[in-house]
Amino acid sequence: MPVFEACPECDLLLNQSKAAPGDKAHCPRCGFLLHRPHKHSIERTLALSAAGLVLIVPANLLPMLTIKILGKTQEGTLWSGVSALLKEDMWAVAAMVLLSSVALPVINLILAFLISFHLFAEKFNRRIMVWMRWYQHLFEWAMIEVYALGIIVACVKLSDMADIKFGFGLYAFIGLLMINTLLANEFDNYTFWRSITHLSKRQRV
Amino acid sequence: MKAPATALKQGFIRCHECGQLIKANTTLICPVCRSRVSARRHQNLHLTAALIISSLSLYIPANIFPIMTVTELGATARHTIAGGIAALIHQDMIPIALLVLIASILVPLLKILGITLLLLCVHFKWQVDALLFTRLYRIIAFVGRWSMLDIFMISILVGLVDLGGVASVIAGPAATAFAAVVVLTMFAAKSFDPRLIWDHQLSHD
Repeated sequence: MPVFEACPECDLLLNQSKAAPGDKAHCPRCGFLLHRPHKHSIERTLALSAAGLVLIVPANLLPMLTIKILGKTQEGTLWSGVSALLKEDMWAVAAMVLLSSVALPVINLILAFLISFHLFAEKFNRRIMVWMRWYQHLFEWAMIEVYALGIIVACVKLSDMADIKFGFGLYAFIGLLMINTLLANEFDNYTFWRSITHLSKRQRV
Repeated sequence: MKAPATALKQGFIRCHECGQLIKANTTLICPVCRSRVSARRHQNLHLTAALIISSLSLYIPANIFPIMTVTELGATARHTIAGGIAALIHQDMIPIALLVLIASILVPLLKILGITLLLLCVHFKWQVDALLFTRLYRIIAFVGRWSMLDIFMISILVGLVDLGGVASVIAGPAATAFAAVVVLTMFAAKSFDPRLIWDHQLSHD
């Protein structure tokens, strides 16, 4: 049986690409980036997601910023914004901030870890497809990099009324940001789906 | 000139979730990932339109009402989104002001206009440069999450600056409206199927 694939954005029927690791395969009609296989994509995803899960603890618990205004100081963590918004009864905004800066980054890391661990150990699990689908849908809702930009703008706004000190939580958060970016680069949906298909076929034989 | 073969014209449907090509009219459930199979997300044009209309109507309160209230040494000032940008210009932070202007005023508005244009194009079967419209769709889908910048910035300020009469920041009603605009436009972009742009083009090389 000849193997075809289709471009997800313009539906052009294509021969299944044989892109080598490091190459990028684009759709010839609409230019969509079909996939970019990496060497050791699964192992790297496993390592990066494990590292991210470790870093997420200090990033959430330790103070990120400390401000000093007229001798008064105050610390802020990733959570203090959420709790202050809740105190004001702005629960919708609080929920959105909580989801996109804390909850979904954790969930995505856990999903990436589970998927890559099962593929790495070649252990088939029925739920691996469900995890993949969740990961694909939730991916864009984890907004660590946007939050980091928000920290920069907030610091600029505060710079003329307060002294700002950076805490260890911020460094952990920046580390998490870098890991997330690398992970997004490593996690090629196409490669992963193909590995999953192979794994499930072998399981059935 | 003959139109190139799309998967659908050749009797294949690409699974939305895992990319598997499935023979049309054979199954409703993808054999690989067990998600529901449909050729296009046609019915979603209504959903996309509804989301766009809701976000357009929320865009107005988001810009009229104060997004945060800043108290500094007893003096209280209410900032709208535009007011916050003006304050940054006063601080001589032009690049940051530009960043916030793009992320919180221009991007949501251009997104609403852009998706409206895409919907009109598909609904009236306009003969357009499909590549250009696909690129428009990609830009819209990519920039959406960066509009959360303002919400994160406010949540950081609200959590950090809470020193009673000396200095405090509270979020305003526009924050909820603005967060809703961002979330709704993100859902709108996600629900739009760019393949519909290509389907209606009579000829292309």
